[in-house]
Amino acid sequence: MKIKFILNGKKTVVDVPGGMRLIDLLREKLNLTGTREGCGKGECGACTVLLDGKPVNSCLILAAQVDGRDILTIEGLQKGDSLDPVQRAYIDTAAVQCGFCTSGFILATKSLLNENPDPLDEEIKRGIAGNLCRCTGYAKIFDAVKTAAEYIKEEN
Amino acid sequence: MIPEIEYIKETELDLALQHLASDKKVIPFAGGTDVLIELRKSKNPFDRKALLDVKGLGLNDIYIHSDTVIIGAASTHTEVEDNEIIKSKLPVLTKASSLIGSKQIRNRGTIGGNIINASPCADTVPALLLYDAQIVIRSLSEDRTVPLSEFITSPYETVLQKDELVTEIRAFPVAEDYGWGYYKLGRRGAVNISRMTVAALMKVDGEGKINEIRVSAGSVFPITSRISDVEKMLVGEKPKAEIFRRAGEIAAEKMIETSGRRWSTPYKESVVKELIVRVLNEAYSRCKNDDLS
Repeated sequence: MKIKFILNGKKTVVDVPGGMRLIDLLREKLNLTGTREGCGKGECGACTVLLDGKPVNSCLILAAQVDGRDILTIEGLQKGDSLDPVQRAYIDTAAVQCGFCTSGFILATKSLLNENPDPLDEEIKRGIAGNLCRCTGYAKIFDAVKTAAEYIKEEN
Repeated sequence: MIPEIEYIKETELDLALQHLASDKKVIPFAGGTDVLIELRKSKNPFDRKALLDVKGLGLNDIYIHSDTVIIGAASTHTEVEDNEIIKSKLPVLTKASSLIGSKQIRNRGTIGGNIINASPCADTVPALLLYDAQIVIRSLSEDRTVPLSEFITSPYETVLQKDELVTEIRAFPVAEDYGWGYYKLGRRGAVNISRMTVAALMKVDGEGKINEIRVSAGSVFPITSRISDVEKMLVGEKPKAEIFRRAGEIAAEKMIETSGRRWSTPYKESVVKELIVRVLNEAYSRCKNDDLS
């Protein structure tokens, strides 16, 4: 079936089989491999994308279900040559080790800070609870979220 | 990838119901957080040929109609958690919805799906049982309303027929002087499949005695249910540690009577006792009674 949606700010029309998951569409058909598949059942958050601005697991959505909607993946975050403040914060605080979970964390952080520009520690925990990282121990990720909040404030 | 399956989306309820009534094997789904996982587990576990997306049917209104809270079955856990009517009228449900999975899951999974999937550890069910929830079911031939307490017939099984769709959940709020408690026990703090869930609503009268009490438990019995033996024992008693402990013992006895002694019993027996005490204490601490000093 043919679906039309906004992908990273661009109108996209693509033909998809009924049973195709969004993550498969992104990775296999559109070569957007920044979105990762970890567990395939909604526990690890590596496949997180923003659907109409809200974080969802792209392994638990059919491609057909995003018809008419807006999808943002990690590839759509940077504006021209400049990285998004959240991306900069993750780099500057060294909140990345193997990097497999990072796309998901950055998008979860982006959505958290859009809703709540100044989150408390507990709110950060709740905001990124759907993302697992097996390398960092999360301390650096906390730093990244707080740094990102500051970068965003500086920009505004 | 998911095996070849047709995807159908309708924006009108009658058209959706026509698909369900047809000879074709059609499975309705909303968030997909359970259904898509099941579909991938084996080649075609549902032995169905098509998926019917009910997200376009507008079944996500939440409103009050003559003292009944009506919740569209396809309301996401996020929509339920953030809803002001539910916060003030059904606080136990707000709490239950807020503890489900992760933000990603709550943004997709729905209250109807949580009930229909009928897992013994479904988080919204113990909360909804406290509010005597009813499940509104529609099909082309008949509309019917079934109490939640009769809707789930065994783990992962419900009374829902192939041609039927759950469209809304009705819940009946209690007065503001009721206190409530909800405890979800899990192995970690988030993205957590409940090990056990206990919920309670309590009202204390002018003499400081328990006037009305409702207690429900998930993952304690094969079907999540109210524990009427505990409720009966507590009515008329003064809320105190000894009575709450007795309530926990009755719940544990009832659990063993229903499910037998299983490998998990030594753990669950002591845990259910403790959780009942905690939830009753929590509910009592929220009871508002001006007559009590």
